[in-house]
Amino acid sequence: MILKSDSMNKLINDLRNLPATVNEVDYRKRGYHLEVELTSGQVHEFASLLRDLGFYLVFVSAVHTAPAIQIIYQFAGYCRPCRIVGRAPVAADGSIPTISDIFDGANWHERETKDMFGVIFTGHPYMQPLLLPEEGADLKPLLKRDDAVKTMDKIRRPAAPDREQGKDL
Amino acid sequence: MTPDSKDREKRSFYLNMGPQHPSTHGVLRVLLEMDGEYILEPEPVLGYGHRIQEKMGESRTWNGFLPNTARLDYACALIYNHGYVGLIERITGIEAPLRAEYIRVITSELNRIASHLLWLGAFLLDLGAFTPILYTFDDREQILDILEDVTGSRLTHCYFRVGGVSRDVDGKFVEATRAFIKRLRSRFSIYDDLITNNIIFIKRVRDITRFTPDMARRFGATGPILRGTGISYDIRRNEPYSVYPEFDFEIPVGATGDCMDVYMVRLREMEQSLRIIEQALDRLPDGPFLTKVPRRLKLPQGDASFSVEAARGELAYYLVSDGSDIPYRLKIRVPSFSNLSLLPEHCRNMLLSDLVMALGSLDLCIPEIDR
Repeated sequence: MILKSDSMNKLINDLRNLPATVNEVDYRKRGYHLEVELTSGQVHEFASLLRDLGFYLVFVSAVHTAPAIQIIYQFAGYCRPCRIVGRAPVAADGSIPTISDIFDGANWHERETKDMFGVIFTGHPYMQPLLLPEEGADLKPLLKRDDAVKTMDKIRRPAAPDREQGKDL
Repeated sequence: MTPDSKDREKRSFYLNMGPQHPSTHGVLRVLLEMDGEYILEPEPVLGYGHRIQEKMGESRTWNGFLPNTARLDYACALIYNHGYVGLIERITGIEAPLRAEYIRVITSELNRIASHLLWLGAFLLDLGAFTPILYTFDDREQILDILEDVTGSRLTHCYFRVGGVSRDVDGKFVEATRAFIKRLRSRFSIYDDLITNNIIFIKRVRDITRFTPDMARRFGATGPILRGTGISYDIRRNEPYSVYPEFDFEIPVGATGDCMDVYMVRLREMEQSLRIIEQALDRLPDGPFLTKVPRRLKLPQGDASFSVEAARGELAYYLVSDGSDIPYRLKIRVPSFSNLSLLPEHCRNMLLSDLVMALGSLDLCIPEIDR
């Protein structure tokens, strides 16, 4: 595997300096290489860093968890087989900064996320409905019922079976 | 207000292209701010065919969602099957038998060729050439017949299963596929005469508008559009899945990123797909085609992602599970969504007649975008 190359280590260090929590995960089981836990204030820096390293945006989306909705960012690189999943909870007022000024493609993904979850992306140039009609702006169809919302530890892979947790990074 | 924008307001008018326009190939609407024949600002308006597939994905068992995957992109349904069963296999650790993986590759590649042939005919039809679609549909019909025999349907195939494929292929399938390879190879020279070397076609697509690697990266465009700009990026090669590493094939790339290059990439991809199918048929192993999988299998808690190279670019499924047999969240990242999002930047200040060509070269599949 490519995981232990110098550029990979540098990437992990750069991400840790954000500072963010970075875990290497088993690609065969999860389909990506790095899992990055961010705060809502860090997503801009996170995206800038990946832009400078030549990554492209795969998607922006969200998962409804308690207490806050988690925004999911997935990036991949053309040259190295390296796929990154970033995760950031929205701020207390239900907003998160946009990254559409860094990756133009995020514009539509963020509009879709606003349609489905009602998350406001602050600084977004055109926060209009994309897939849903204008009159359906407060439907938020992908939000779950109150009794169906899970906390993050109920949908996170348990630490023990993943051997990479014990690995020296 | 600057004099410039005042002038623009006075001169410009709005033109609706779609939602029912023959060259959008689906219910896509493009709202155009025009100045005479020139487009000042194109704005795609989506959602006419929105079926909220992602909600369906999290309101039924993982097994029950499989037929939906074929309805996301009707032009290459099997590749959408492939991504979903690959995702479930990755998260549960189930492995499909080798014979099933070979069958998956053969049928996926046939489906990719069918999708490219559909595009080729429709694209030329958009440009005003009626003849090519009669030839490409003739060829595509052979694939549909082959796939109908083995999958049971002609368009929305739901053939792959977690742990294999739903039924085995027989000698008739192998024979028909070999005959098709021979047939299509002999047809490429016809396509070259009819299209590639046609001066009218060349003048319509050569150098009119260019995709750039930077534009593709910023918008997350993948597939033939990205490869047309010269970047060799194909999930089958960069993040190999299934048994693709066992085959010898090339990733065709363009040089300038104009629509001629994108056309050439797709044409040469069909040749490469034929190579893959031929090798897979030669080495098709014996053995079971489906492993036993419990019907109500619980998905282990946690998330997983799976990407495949669809005919239009990268298709990624991202699943979050809470440990039950119903996914907690299923995100479907479709290639055409990101590919279309670059349209405003790509088509600004273009002639209206060239927009038809630019939309055509994106190879859009609207149900996939709207989901």
